[in-house]
Amino acid sequence: MRKILLLIVLFTAVVTVSACSTESGFDITSETEIVVGLEAAFAPFNWATPTENGFTVPIANQTGFYADGFDVVMAQEIADALGLTLVIRAIEWDGLIPALLAGEIDLIIAGMSPTSERAQTVAFSDPYFQSEQVMVVRNDGNYADATSLDDFNGARIVAQLGTLQDDLIDQITGVNHQAALNDYASLVTALLNNASDGFVAELPVAMGIVAANSNLSYITFIDGNGFTVTPEDVTVSVALRQEDTALLSAINDALNAISTETRNGYMEAALTRQPQ
Amino acid sequence: MILASLPPRDAFFETVWYLITTYQQFFFTGIFYTIMLSVIGTVGGFIIAFFFTIVRTTKIDTLRQSKVSIFFTIVSQKFINIYITIFRGTPMMVQAMIFYYGLSRLQISFWTPLVAGFVVVTLNTTAYITEVLRSGINGVDHGQLEASRSLGFSHGQSMKLIVLPQAIRQSLPAIGNEFIINLKDTSVLSVIGVTELFRATQLATSPNYRTTEGFFIAAILYLSMTLIASLLVNKFEKTSLRKEAMV
Repeated sequence: MRKILLLIVLFTAVVTVSACSTESGFDITSETEIVVGLEAAFAPFNWATPTENGFTVPIANQTGFYADGFDVVMAQEIADALGLTLVIRAIEWDGLIPALLAGEIDLIIAGMSPTSERAQTVAFSDPYFQSEQVMVVRNDGNYADATSLDDFNGARIVAQLGTLQDDLIDQITGVNHQAALNDYASLVTALLNNASDGFVAELPVAMGIVAANSNLSYITFIDGNGFTVTPEDVTVSVALRQEDTALLSAINDALNAISTETRNGYMEAALTRQPQ
Repeated sequence: MILASLPPRDAFFETVWYLITTYQQFFFTGIFYTIMLSVIGTVGGFIIAFFFTIVRTTKIDTLRQSKVSIFFTIVSQKFINIYITIFRGTPMMVQAMIFYYGLSRLQISFWTPLVAGFVVVTLNTTAYITEVLRSGINGVDHGQLEASRSLGFSHGQSMKLIVLPQAIRQSLPAIGNEFIINLKDTSVLSVIGVTELFRATQLATSPNYRTTEGFFIAAILYLSMTLIASLLVNKFEKTSLRKEAMV
């Protein structure tokens, strides 16, 4: 009996000691690879595919899975500019920032908006893409002809859990703000099965969804009729640990070298590669 | 490119076939991890539950045991009872979130979602199998323990050699059932990003939004796994019953 207890105590001690071997900050001069975390479930920014092509990068923590999408192309550009080998890890959305803080990954390039809430925990680069917020609706639904947010009075609107889009829903007067869902596949399913009347999405995501679903369409709003957003809400940035200041300026330099036209071109190419 | 051949939305079975052929690698990986998590979780849970049961059923003997030994026995029995209450009383999804994100703070390099998944399934199954073994022990006549104790076996020896083998044999259907439950319940580990069958299906359907078709495949795969598992459990039970009959 006592032997077992001794073993348990020893095991706990070993785990505690090994836990102390933590990683410190990212040193550009000595590191050879840079580990980027993304969801691999947020097309066209990033998604997973079993087949390789000229744009894919193998997902390091999942053999046989390859990451593709706009984020992967941008990650490759950044890694090339820094002279580092790109390693991609697929991590659940809610786990990305914890993984970054834990040193499991060095960067988050996952279509993440640099909100002030997140900026309390992580540092953000300059934006690498800017988009607008649109509403995805059914073609045969009551809201297919909507032009302003006021038209969505009384509508059942949903968005992805923990996203800017979910917060924006409350700007619609008289809206039925439904409980947020985990991913875009669930949002599309909710909309197609008439469990919701619409969901809020970023334009490139909405374009991908509509291209894959002919009975859905998205509504863009002219200025003043749509959501009120701050610039940092409609842009996406690379997230990194706050102490990695040298890495931050290196990434901003790398991003500045890529023109807006080139970036938009990457996004359009990602949209055509997305299975639809 | 095969990606271009996604069938129209109303073509249900064509879409199912498209997903199977395009994402077979994802589904295989998902099945592999679902089975691995369930097997290791059930076997690991059983082994820990075995030791827990011995500790839990120990009767304190104030005349023969030292004070330290009595103290340790009481503390470990209390610990096991609290452990069972907590793990049976909270959803495995919640346990997964707490274990993975909680221990991630310590920045342990090997603490990946998969490792956290194995730990959570094992700890969860331990709690259930410890309860199963207790009812198995209640089913063994108390006279057997008394007889082996009077023949000079220690409590641990009589549990290990006499009572537990019979209790385990009686508990086999319930333990097999625990394995089948694990096959299905490991799907909750997708919340922390373990690529078992549920998350593999999510990954396969997320770029094309064919959720219903994808999870139709997942349902068939889960059903096949649980059917095969229950056949195996039945067979295993019959052989062990036959052995008992021979004894």
